Amino acid sequence: MALEAAIAERTRDLAIAVKEMESFTYSVAHDLRAPVRAINGFSRALLEDYGDQFAGEPLDYLLRISRASERMGQLIDDLLKLSQVGRGDVERTEVNLSVLAASAAARLTERLPDRDVRLAIQDGMNTRGDGRLLLIVLENLLDNAWKFTQRRETAEIRFFTTNEDGRRIFHIADNGSGFDTRYRHKLFAPFQRLHRADEFEGTGIGLVIVSRILARHGGDVWIDGIEDQGATVSFTLPERS
Amino acid sequence: MAADAILIVEDDPDDLELIQRALRKARVNNVTAVARDGEEALRLLLDGPDRLESLPLVVFLDIKLPRIDGLEVLTQVRSSTRTKTLPVVILTSSDEQEDLLRSYDLGANSFVRKPIEFAAFQKTVAEVGLYWLLINRNPRPA
Repeated sequence: MALEAAIAERTRDLAIAVKEMESFTYSVAHDLRAPVRAINGFSRALLEDYGDQFAGEPLDYLLRISRASERMGQLIDDLLKLSQVGRGDVERTEVNLSVLAASAAARLTERLPDRDVRLAIQDGMNTRGDGRLLLIVLENLLDNAWKFTQRRETAEIRFFTTNEDGRRIFHIADNGSGFDTRYRHKLFAPFQRLHRADEFEGTGIGLVIVSRILARHGGDVWIDGIEDQGATVSFTLPERS
Repeated sequence: MAADAILIVEDDPDDLELIQRALRKARVNNVTAVARDGEEALRLLLDGPDRLESLPLVVFLDIKLPRIDGLEVLTQVRSSTRTKTLPVVILTSSDEQEDLLRSYDLGANSFVRKPIEFAAFQKTVAEVGLYWLLINRNPRPA
């Protein structure tokens, strides 16, 4: 009886903690975004309406305020995205990852029409999983591949599968800037970046979202790379229903 | 109030100024009426001594409001014959699925999340404003 009571108490505590986490997130969504929006909005409005009255240092400071608030907004929105992929049920249906990847890539091509990207997606990569969440995975991974190949005249990006010891592994490989493997462990921690902001943009949340979603599917993700030659992100998705 | 006004229901004075500025910049010259909480919005829209003479063309409605929240305002607006078909655009900070689904369930015409970045904010407000003012025509209640 004592054990049952203890379990019941733990369950109650957990429910309260989850509830608190949810209201925290809601508060971030509503209450933290508003002041950042005001800082960005009014610094931009100043530039737009009175820009000719600013020059030199005052102009530089104003631009810094505006850029910092944009960055903070991006960080808040990324945190919210991370919390959203952690909530809700994982709904497993038949999913064609080749089709999802193609649609994510089409959006990138539309957004960055000047890039020369040679993309090869293996056909018919069917699996089971939550299509909405897996699209987010592919969007993030392809977005990274696009981003880290931006210095290549022709980017080469491949999405394909291999079989190793009976395990089906999906890979997204690029010929981009790669990374220093000494810092590999940092890549899946929130807001850790291996590149300076002036080298590649981003907040460092993409791979965290990817690994969170794959973990919710019971899958795994890892990354290999060679500096200045490229990176390959590999993941598994157990096909149990 | 003029017959072609926009009602903005917004408790945050900074957001309010940014919305009004975005409309001005988009050359939307309609008069704007402002309600700073849900209670005031309902007083302006529903029967009573404070009711606006004519209905606004569109309502921009924040969800998180003091006293009566935006979703409750929407519920009451939809259940009154006079305001049943009034275009209501939810313009809010949230992008929670639950808020979005509930808004449409309760009869919102659009659900728009306020972007943080200024240019996107300006563009969003101008576009939804122009859409509901110029393109969309709703039946006027008799």
